[in-house]
Amino acid sequence: MATKKRYGFVIDISRCIDCRACLVACSAENNVGMQYTRIWVKDTGVKGEFPKLTRTFVPYNCMHCENPPCVEVCVSGATYKDKDTGLVLVDQEACIGCGYCVEACPYDARYLDRARGVVDKCTGCIQRVLVGQQPACVTTCVGKARLFGDLNDPNSEVSVALKNAKAVQRLDYEKNGVDTDPNIYFINGEIDDPSIQPRDPRYTFAQESWKTLLVPAVLAGIGLSFVGQATFFAKQLMEGEKEFEE
Amino acid sequence: MSHTQISLPERKRLREKKYRKHNLANILTHWFNVGCWLLLLPTGIAILSSPRLGLSPVWLQEMFRNLFGSTANLIRFHYTVGLLWVFVLTYNVLIGFRKYFIPFSRERLLLDKDDIEWLKVKPMQMLGFMKDKPLPPQDAYNAGQKLYMYAVILGTVGIMLSGVVMTFHRWFPPVLLQWAQPLHWASVFGVVAGLIIHVYMGAVFPEEKEAFFSMFTGEVSAWYARAHHEKWYWNKVREELEWEDRVEAELGEIARHQQPSGDRPETGQVPS
Repeated sequence: MATKKRYGFVIDISRCIDCRACLVACSAENNVGMQYTRIWVKDTGVKGEFPKLTRTFVPYNCMHCENPPCVEVCVSGATYKDKDTGLVLVDQEACIGCGYCVEACPYDARYLDRARGVVDKCTGCIQRVLVGQQPACVTTCVGKARLFGDLNDPNSEVSVALKNAKAVQRLDYEKNGVDTDPNIYFINGEIDDPSIQPRDPRYTFAQESWKTLLVPAVLAGIGLSFVGQATFFAKQLMEGEKEFEE
Repeated sequence: MSHTQISLPERKRLREKKYRKHNLANILTHWFNVGCWLLLLPTGIAILSSPRLGLSPVWLQEMFRNLFGSTANLIRFHYTVGLLWVFVLTYNVLIGFRKYFIPFSRERLLLDKDDIEWLKVKPMQMLGFMKDKPLPPQDAYNAGQKLYMYAVILGTVGIMLSGVVMTFHRWFPPVLLQWAQPLHWASVFGVVAGLIIHVYMGAVFPEEKEAFFSMFTGEVSAWYARAHHEKWYWNKVREELEWEDRVEAELGEIARHQQPSGDRPETGQVPS
């Protein structure tokens, strides 16, 4: 979906030291409960053989996809892609916490807040972005691994960083007619660890039954009923209304 | 229908004579239900915006979201009216349980042998077969109406339960919320499938004109009752005759009790 702005993250994985200050800043800024987190730092583990060892830390949160599978499944539109910023957001006053989207997200970037009965996720700190500030995780990142900005604007910090990057990688999911087209670009490193790759979107049994069974059955019923009614109505119009009493 | 065997003056008399088919409680509940459906159906369809399910047109979704200001407001309106609907219907059934609901279910809702026969013959006639086979006499509601009523009762319970679960989502596990949505949708549109016929038969179909007006006045003519609900009509007639017999007997009794004492003839004859 083309949006006016296309806010996204550019993450320099060569600079992340897994200090997790971003997690703390995010939770503090967004009042995230202690048992949850909206963002993660994934760890590939130690790779290679001594003395040539490598270890990569991958800061990770909602990819604010161009074609988000979570928005595809949300029944009420409580999860939506914001037309101005391009951020994928949850209207928690509309969300009922059914978890269709949690299952559908190939990045597991959402969680169900059972206490509030709603889904929660990274919002790109839209409350800060709208007043011209950077997301909390970005401002707090000591290594400057996280960058945030409008990817549509060629002069933004993120676009410049992308241009100058040694390597660029996205965790795109493109399979079975789904192409997420994520808006997080990982630069200056390589993520080949299978544990960090996106998974297949899961569609709940309830929604699949709805889509494949209930919709055709019910629509067939309505169609049959309508055709029956229309036939009698047409007959009534053609024959005229006989005064049934005489 | 044996229209031609009835003389014109008799037909006129039958048309002027009225029988009460619906009580006020039923009429008010029916129109309250209609009002709620008119508010709930469009807003409900507008809420459904999953592209994967593709259940409603985008213009409708956007129109209602603009009208109410946001998705959350649209949903709030939907469940507020919905809860009012649940409350009033439940209240009416509970309050009128012994006076209306039990007698209604017993006398008007159960299928009998004639209904089963009707269900076999009527669909065939609608498809153009068995035209010469007579339809068995029907009670206050015909078998088709009874079947629709079952569907409505089932659908209403499904809509209410799933709606309440979604409204108070904080207190229910996600798996229940996942199933509540398709159940809500299927119940609504299951009823809508019948509703199309119900509205057509009630408001447009010429032979059922009286049924439409009876939903305001509560009354149908004896002529209509006899033509469409013969069994009910003859029951009404029998009830009337029985009532007349009873009144006559009582009047006779009263007359017998009043006459004796002062007016008793000297001869001691018992008045006949």
